[in-house]
Amino acid sequence: MSEGVQAPSGPPARFRIRNPQDFYGGLVLVAVAAFALWASRDLPGMRGFAFGPGTAPRMFAIILGALGLCVAAVGLVTDGPKVERVTVRGTLLGALLIALFAVVSNYATPLTTALGLRQYESVVAALVVLLVTIALARGLDRGPLYVIAGTLIFAGTIRPLGLVLASFISLVVCAAATVEVRWRETIIWAAVLTLFCALLFVYGLNLPFAFWPRF
Amino acid sequence: MDLFANLAHGFAVALSPMNVVFCLIGALVGTLIGVLPGVGPVATIAMLLPITFGLPPVGALIMLAGIYYGAQYGGSTTSILVNIPGEASSVVTTLDGHQMARQGRAGPALAIAAIGSFIAGCVSTVLVAALGAPLTSLALLFGPAEYFSLMVLGLVFAVVLAKGSVLKAVAMIMLGLLLSSVGSDIETGQSRMAFDVPELSDGIGFVVVAMGVFGFAEIIRNLETQTEETRSIVAAKVTGLMPTWPDLKASAGAIARGTVLGSILGILPGGGAVIAAFAAYTFEKKVAKDPSRFGRGAIEGVAAPESANNAAAQTSFIPLLTLGIPPNAVMALMVGAMTIHGIVPGPQVMTKQPDLFWGMIASMWLGNLMLVVINLPLVGLWVRLLRVPYRMLFPAILIFCNIGNYSINNAPFDVAMTAVFALVGYWLIKLDFEPAPMLLGYVLGPLMEENLRRAMLIARGDPMTFVYRPISATLLAIAVFLLVLAVLPMIRSRRDEVFVEGET
Repeated sequence: MSEGVQAPSGPPARFRIRNPQDFYGGLVLVAVAAFALWASRDLPGMRGFAFGPGTAPRMFAIILGALGLCVAAVGLVTDGPKVERVTVRGTLLGALLIALFAVVSNYATPLTTALGLRQYESVVAALVVLLVTIALARGLDRGPLYVIAGTLIFAGTIRPLGLVLASFISLVVCAAATVEVRWRETIIWAAVLTLFCALLFVYGLNLPFAFWPRF
Repeated sequence: MDLFANLAHGFAVALSPMNVVFCLIGALVGTLIGVLPGVGPVATIAMLLPITFGLPPVGALIMLAGIYYGAQYGGSTTSILVNIPGEASSVVTTLDGHQMARQGRAGPALAIAAIGSFIAGCVSTVLVAALGAPLTSLALLFGPAEYFSLMVLGLVFAVVLAKGSVLKAVAMIMLGLLLSSVGSDIETGQSRMAFDVPELSDGIGFVVVAMGVFGFAEIIRNLETQTEETRSIVAAKVTGLMPTWPDLKASAGAIARGTVLGSILGILPGGGAVIAAFAAYTFEKKVAKDPSRFGRGAIEGVAAPESANNAAAQTSFIPLLTLGIPPNAVMALMVGAMTIHGIVPGPQVMTKQPDLFWGMIASMWLGNLMLVVINLPLVGLWVRLLRVPYRMLFPAILIFCNIGNYSINNAPFDVAMTAVFALVGYWLIKLDFEPAPMLLGYVLGPLMEENLRRAMLIARGDPMTFVYRPISATLLAIAVFLLVLAVLPMIRSRRDEVFVEGET
């Protein structure tokens, strides 16, 4: 934990955040708390001495916000490691992927209707996620991005495309999460695993999955 | 004696063919996943939760317990062979275990770990059975106010014993509590913070949070740190499995001491197994005639912490089964699993569902036995598994998780939410926030809110009720005392030294 800690050298010439991990982490918690307060604004609070539905969430949110502020404040007065660029990039891009997936799968109906592919909105969303991931992921942030993309793609394809295609595509995408990926091996391995999953989950455990796309 | 009648009843339940099979599958699958480098018991259980949902409640919990022991044993195997501890409680095992493996004595190291765990398991099983009844009757004295205070104490324990900043850990608990309040309100049924998303009306799924924050985030982190070069497997020669007579004589005392220490420390909330392993190792080094042997392949250095962490793993079921309070992240997962099966953990489990209570205790012993008889002969298989490159393993784990997760509700939404929590977990790990307290808060949230509301209602809105009631006041006083102790900077810096590599 101590590596990356920079001892302050001499009097600080200008204002500097000494422990960015705590500072920004704390601020994010404050943001979460503020969001929760906003989200629970319509819920009724105390009625007499009985708690309403909104009392506990607001209580938790206020305490969380206060603690977040404290963490951020501690981040100003203690020294600590930096937040790596990769982390910020990975998190922001990951959030972007999730947001894209949510928006496209909910609002792509006009497009899919025009193409004659109604109810395939989530597949379109999965495709968008895949393309954006390929375009943006590089270096160390490919870990979080491809794992998240593979998971979202599975979520988007399992219903419309069935277990076989969803597993295979998701496996190949997930495998790209490491720089050590070898494509030929990955394709064969994904095929083997897909077969195994199909046998295990559909025949072995009798789960009601569709195998193939429904048209 | 009641105790033995109850235990006999438990064994009758646990030894039914189906339950033996569940226990066996649990121990095997648990070891299979737990053996993977960097995957600890919490991640293993989080990933394997879905496979137990189709089973009857007793079978499911027996299987989960099996998974837990399997995962812990698998973690030790990896520590000894690859020097990568899958979990904090086997960090200590790497010190001497890996040295032994380097000297070509991996076999005896693995065997003594299993034997030590088994003996510790036997002792602590009896302890769990013996302590279960009295603690349960104590719990019946508790009203909502006492329960609330007890949960506060449990959470404070978790904070104090976790590594790193106390402030951040408390903040994580609050985040967990806040997350748990998403979904329908318990009393009015009004939807809270669900944004009219039908899938959120029941709250954020427990599996979603656990699998995302622990399972997936763990894999993402491993992807950054594990490359082929960092893994050195000394599995060239795992021959001569059985320890020699001098080995056994040397470890007998260590196993006994480890068992006692582990059993005591495991009952305490917080990272019981971790502290137990550290404490047992340190203690062993103190009593040894020649402490310099430690760290160079001393067999006591494997036997003591392994016995201790297994004993602690077992006794940490005590607060869960009797009071319904999970003392650590693994037990929080157990609460989640119980809740999904419609069982409310707590004192009433023992009286209302004796099959479950005693069957689970008996299956603990059975699980330990299985680890010895099944896993030792299978060491060769685990070694081969360790040779499979990580680039092939992790997509397989991910797809199993995704399919399992989807199969619970047939809900693609759950899978997508898991991606969200994977990202949350990644962010938390990277910013040095510990996710374990968050999970505890998340699991305890609904219970805490319910008891808080009831207590306030009974006291006609007077918050002083928590201080006026003696048991509640005592519990809160201990909590405050512990918190103050933890925040005092001097003690905190010492604490960091002890848990430098620790996590729950």
